[in-house]
Amino acid sequence: MQKITEFIKSQRIYSKSKKQEEKETIKEEKYTSSTFLLQVFMTLAALFFLTPILIIFNYSMKTKKELYIGNPLALPETFNLSNFEAAFNKLNLVVSFTNTLLYTAISVAILVILCGAAAWAIARAKGNFFKFAYVYFVIGILIPYQALFLPIYIIGYKLSLTNTRLGIILMYIATGISFGVFIMTSFMSTVPIELEEAAKIDGCSIYRTYFSIVLPLLKPAMATLTIMLSFQIWNDYLMASLFVSSKKLKTLTVAMQSLFSQQASDYSTAFAAIVISVLPIAILFMCLQKYFIKGMTVGAVKG
Amino acid sequence: MQKNSLERKETLQHMTLILPGMLIFTIGLIIPLFLAFRYSFTNWDGMTIDKPFIGIQNYIKLFSDVYVKDAWLFTIKFTLWNTILQNIFALLFAVALDSSIKGKKIYRTILFLPCLISALVTGFLWLKMFSNVLPALNDLLGTNINFLLLGNKDTVLSGLLIANNWQWVGYWMLIYLAALQSIPSDLYEAAKVDGASKIRQFIHITIPMLAPAFTICIVGITTGSLKVYDLLVSATGGGPGRASTSIIQLIYTTAISGRQYGYGCALSISLVAILLIVALIQVKVLRKKEVQA
Repeated sequence: MQKITEFIKSQRIYSKSKKQEEKETIKEEKYTSSTFLLQVFMTLAALFFLTPILIIFNYSMKTKKELYIGNPLALPETFNLSNFEAAFNKLNLVVSFTNTLLYTAISVAILVILCGAAAWAIARAKGNFFKFAYVYFVIGILIPYQALFLPIYIIGYKLSLTNTRLGIILMYIATGISFGVFIMTSFMSTVPIELEEAAKIDGCSIYRTYFSIVLPLLKPAMATLTIMLSFQIWNDYLMASLFVSSKKLKTLTVAMQSLFSQQASDYSTAFAAIVISVLPIAILFMCLQKYFIKGMTVGAVKG
Repeated sequence: MQKNSLERKETLQHMTLILPGMLIFTIGLIIPLFLAFRYSFTNWDGMTIDKPFIGIQNYIKLFSDVYVKDAWLFTIKFTLWNTILQNIFALLFAVALDSSIKGKKIYRTILFLPCLISALVTGFLWLKMFSNVLPALNDLLGTNINFLLLGNKDTVLSGLLIANNWQWVGYWMLIYLAALQSIPSDLYEAAKVDGASKIRQFIHITIPMLAPAFTICIVGITTGSLKVYDLLVSATGGGPGRASTSIIQLIYTTAISGRQYGYGCALSISLVAILLIVALIQVKVLRKKEVQA
């Protein structure tokens, strides 16, 4: 085991020096005319990707008059926040916002703890049951829950979990756990076994070892999983629209949908709602950006 | 003896760490899979208590149903184009950002931003882009381009492809970028010493070293596009007519509005089967390439 940790360390040092080297070689490269062409190309691309985002902000501040008479590309004349007010009132935004936050936070928190526990047990315990458990969970990645929304709804209905907070949270856990166990297991090699053995000698129970030793060491994995899952659950529409229909339990995406389908008339309010709905996930992303990219690229990089 | 029982106790405790997750997973995903399979042999309407068994009639009907054929056709076209376009653009942008241009971080962030928005919002945003915002360009430039892509049967696919690519290219680009940056630079140096041109370096070093990233991106884009639904709800609602109805949307309308649960389940099972087969074939073929590389 010690050899392995040493090996990991040396690998890290190796990759660090690699990065430094790369930086140096990049500096040496000259800014040629082809680089300039690339720059122009990327600027045009960035313009294409950025414009719709700017349009969201632009439209969220337009008054109705500007919406119908003014040039669509013109900036709003005043810094007008009435659309945000309208969005708050029409969508029952405080309720749907709290709901979404609640569903996302609770299911992600439970998922992180459950997946960490399962992955740790799979990595440490010997026996066929644990090998089977890993395969069983990971097969779930290949089963698209979006295609199975009907029977998932039927099960929820039979257990009288539809239209309850508990139901939608359990459903998000069930559909997210495969990916979670997969990511957590891939991070498990970063947890040194020596600490656990020391804890065992000191008489720590398995549970205590997990919560006070393993879980803190899994922080990078937890961050990765948190951002990946939050982003999915926050933006989910299909499942939320099926599972909750009562007004009190609606999520942001479901509530916004009602604004989208009201043909045309009042879409500056919809844009204001979009701005509000994107902000939390954008902030979370900015805080955990590094981990997000790590989660995406698990397995994409050789070695 | 004592050691043995201690070990057994530990194994049991380890099991208790797995079981809660396993239980939720089984009830929430595995049992629904089997339920869908069972219901697919009935013509249950979702309301009655008895579910009349009708054998494989639902599956036979799948092959003769025009709605199903059209939905598959749309879904497959959408998936094929997405897989091609998104991979090309993602790789292109990643290579551009791996060069010595200035302001890489800004480009990277801008290209990634759309992924943070939900697909439902993306659909609505592009609906408005095509109908309200872009036509203003015509006045500005004095041109007469028809931007109402989503309203026409023949152009609705390209409109949706633009929206979907706008949203996801940045995501896959980051994966390619990470893979590009992990290629050891001595490989290129050795090639340079041997007198290999930039293009040859790209074909013989970059592409083979990117093999794992290709696997992830191709499988990810294909399976993601086959499951398209949210985007369509707000952008087209499956229209005009049925021109942009995907399989998942068809399942939704047959089961929820059409009250044909049994038939909807047969559709679900066929989609799950096709997704599994496509993913497994792709992984197998692409992994083989990885080993060769």
